[in-house]
Amino acid sequence: MTLAVLFPFVMAAVCALLGSRLGRFTGYVAAAGFLPALALALPLAAQPGAVPLSETARWVPDLGLNLVFRGDGFSLLFAVLIGVIGTLATLYSVAYLSPREKFSRFYPYLLAFGGSMLGLVLSDNLVALFGFWEMTSVTSFLLIGLWHTRSAARDGAVKAFLISALGGLGLLAAAALLSIAGGSTNLSQLDVSAVRESPLFVPALLCTLLAALTKSAQLPFHIWLPTAMEAPTPISAFLHSATMVKAGVVLVAKFGLIFAASPLWSGLLVPLGLLTMAWGSWLALRQTDLKALLAYSTVSQLGLLMSLYGLADEGGRFAATAHLLNHAAFKAALFFVVGIIDHETGTREIPYLQNLRRKLPVTFVIALVASLSMAGIPPLGGFVSKELFYENMLHAGPAFIAVAVIGSALTFAYCARLMSIFFAHRLGLTPTQRELRHEAVKDDVHEAPPSLTLPAGLLAGAALLFGLWPHVAEVLTRKAQTALGFGGLDTHLSLWHGVTPALLLTGLTWLLGGLLVWQARPFAELQSRLAPRWNANTVYYSLIQGLNTLSSRLIARTQGLALPDQMRISLLAAGLMGGYAVWRSPQVFHGIGSVPLGIVPVAVLLVGGAVGVLRSNNRLTAVIVTGLTGFGSAAAFLALRAPDLALTQLLVEAVTVILFLLAFRYLPGVRDLPRTRGRLLLDGGLALAAGVGVTLLVLSSLRFLAPPISPWYLVNSYAGGGGKNAVNVLLVDFRGFDTLGEALVVAMVALAVSSLVRLGKPGRPRTPAHGVTPEGAPILTPKAPTVSARSDASSEPAPPVKEASHES
Amino acid sequence: MSPKKKKAPRAAPAGTVAPAQGTPAAPTPAPLSGDPILRTVSRAAFALVMIFALLLLWRGHNAPGGGFIAGLMTACALILHRIATGESALRVDPARLIPWGAALSFVTGLVPYVLGRPFLKSDYGYLTTALTGEFEWATAMLFDIGVFGVVVGSTMLIAAALTDVRPTERVEGDE
Repeated sequence: MTLAVLFPFVMAAVCALLGSRLGRFTGYVAAAGFLPALALALPLAAQPGAVPLSETARWVPDLGLNLVFRGDGFSLLFAVLIGVIGTLATLYSVAYLSPREKFSRFYPYLLAFGGSMLGLVLSDNLVALFGFWEMTSVTSFLLIGLWHTRSAARDGAVKAFLISALGGLGLLAAAALLSIAGGSTNLSQLDVSAVRESPLFVPALLCTLLAALTKSAQLPFHIWLPTAMEAPTPISAFLHSATMVKAGVVLVAKFGLIFAASPLWSGLLVPLGLLTMAWGSWLALRQTDLKALLAYSTVSQLGLLMSLYGLADEGGRFAATAHLLNHAAFKAALFFVVGIIDHETGTREIPYLQNLRRKLPVTFVIALVASLSMAGIPPLGGFVSKELFYENMLHAGPAFIAVAVIGSALTFAYCARLMSIFFAHRLGLTPTQRELRHEAVKDDVHEAPPSLTLPAGLLAGAALLFGLWPHVAEVLTRKAQTALGFGGLDTHLSLWHGVTPALLLTGLTWLLGGLLVWQARPFAELQSRLAPRWNANTVYYSLIQGLNTLSSRLIARTQGLALPDQMRISLLAAGLMGGYAVWRSPQVFHGIGSVPLGIVPVAVLLVGGAVGVLRSNNRLTAVIVTGLTGFGSAAAFLALRAPDLALTQLLVEAVTVILFLLAFRYLPGVRDLPRTRGRLLLDGGLALAAGVGVTLLVLSSLRFLAPPISPWYLVNSYAGGGGKNAVNVLLVDFRGFDTLGEALVVAMVALAVSSLVRLGKPGRPRTPAHGVTPEGAPILTPKAPTVSARSDASSEPAPPVKEASHES
Repeated sequence: MSPKKKKAPRAAPAGTVAPAQGTPAAPTPAPLSGDPILRTVSRAAFALVMIFALLLLWRGHNAPGGGFIAGLMTACALILHRIATGESALRVDPARLIPWGAALSFVTGLVPYVLGRPFLKSDYGYLTTALTGEFEWATAMLFDIGVFGVVVGSTMLIAAALTDVRPTERVEGDE
């Protein structure tokens, strides 16, 4: 299992390196990344009954964190599902993507997602679960934004990321609460009864629900899924229909075993799921874009799954697991079909398309099978699980049944609408639309190659198989029975149950659905008349707009000051901090006796430098005198017998002075520092306060609360790190992780400075006409430093950095 | 956009360009510096500083020195060389040094992790050859070289960004 999770990441690296060389054939390499996941079918075959697989990989053993993977029937079933759909989507994308696509990005993202998703379903450790959960959000963000030159793609990526990140925070909180209450970070080792009695139970439940509802696009968080359809179609099929959006459902299924004890769990999940189901299919019927229709249909189907798992009884879990399989098969197939239609005709607009069954016969058959399954019509898998859905909802109450029937009737109607593109129907276009259609639709539409139809056909075949031979679906569903605890149930999947209330409801659904199809046009008018002026989307956008306004105002108030003013605030804060330290612990001066005498002349030098800066009346002098304090500090380190620090300080100072001189060009002139007497006193006072404050702060922290660990380093640096220089051994070995982080900070600062300077470059034209230096080949002409050192004038005081921070 | 748009009335002459700078019009490659003394001295100084920087990097494990310090010193040498001769002694883009350096450090840390020891745990040993006598090797050296790369790359990137002047650009001039 560890291999199945990690192998896609390895292949992602391989694809990133090979992508530009192999072009579209990278896809075949990428497909191999899912092989270990497919191989999980072997342990799956032994389920149920066999002991769940368990593997542990060290992660941070010091913190008690390990990657624990647990392959029970449900996890393995889902993992194999991910493997199958992932392989098919990857193979499909080979033929689907244009040859100019950035393959060295697409496939690594796809594989990284696959690995994260596998980790998510297989992980038993809550912290790792959270990590993988977030990684699916990040990779989904990257994949939605793959065509980032389109603003819709950027918007969709950001929206999806923000909403699922909100849920991710919920999951983090839930994981923390559960592990506190249950005494373990491993899901299978949680003390369930302790969790149920803990006061943290309800908060943990709500946080879990937040995570599940956002990830699975339930009301009112459903808005991210339709805009996520900006991703390439293979991605939509893989992430946004079959796997990632079901992460929330998986979470509900797994955690439901813990939370089902509370009536709150079902009380929230079932109504929300059913409402989402009905509202999603209501919206799906209104779409003209095929992919948007499928997106809302996914929202609706996820609602159905949520409500079934939310029932938290055996029948619900059984039906939901069966429908999960069915949905993965028919929905991924439909996405592939839409991809084919888009690929072959050039458009996805339903009003532009008709009579496609003659030109795309194979696609037509696949679409027919898949959408009949979605509509719940025998003899397809969708019918079988839909029957079970009704059967379970019968216990829930009449209101729930009514919502379920309405949702299903709408589902029936949008399936018909989806299929209408294959038949002759009145397009009813305005002249402008006719013009647009003429431009959009390709002239010679012909059937897609088998590389596109085959993956779709396989999935549609599965949908048919699940219907014609429900035993197959049942065997697969039963794999999860131990994990989800429906082993005692004796319901079976079959096409014919006899005349049951569920069958009657199905008949009613067809009747209503048929009515909707017959009266499609009046109903569409009714829908548009009923459309509310505001919805979750407008709320989202106004929220984002409001946050933007708020933050830019806040920045303008606090960060928009000139640099000297900001420095004054920082220094004042430093002084206050020292004052606070003295106030809290007045006896701060006990460490002062140990200061060696040799430091006194150095201190005089330092103070002299500081006074010199204050007294200097032009920038150049100020910089040079500042250098004096810097070099003075180096001398102080030497006096304190810290040669490493002294050397570092010397070099830092040298580089600082050089960079300072280079930066002179951006400062408002060398000649004079306009400073009144009052300003001088203020600055001097502030500097003094900050200096004294920091000194006091350091002194007050010198009281040792525990024995110092420095002797340990001195003893162990040679034996443990093999070096005689304890400072350096500390840096590269004992605290190497810190050093790595600091090196990255240095790198980030460099990148930030470089981009800020480029943004606010004086007189730098925005147009490439003036020969913007090619990226990464800056011309360092010898003139620059000398010129800048003597440049002057320009009375505008605004530093370029300020300018840059405003526009970002 | 830029706060320091040239002010036309000031009529900053092309003479803002300091005498030591060579012709202002020629774009890449940057012209040689006009100061032969600086050029000559810098050549020797560059070599010396570089040798010392490498020495610092080398001996860091046992005496004052290390990747960070050596990186800063190398950056100083490179800037000196560039100011004096107008040519970059660095043949690679400094921005590229950063990821490679970071990757080297990270991978050095990853190897012991994969082998089942703590992340970034360094290993060392002693080799004795006829030529060098006893010689200590340590994987921490690789880590330090990575840090060195990051520091050189970052410093040079900042320096390059600050000094990236188009030859035709008029810098706000003094009289």
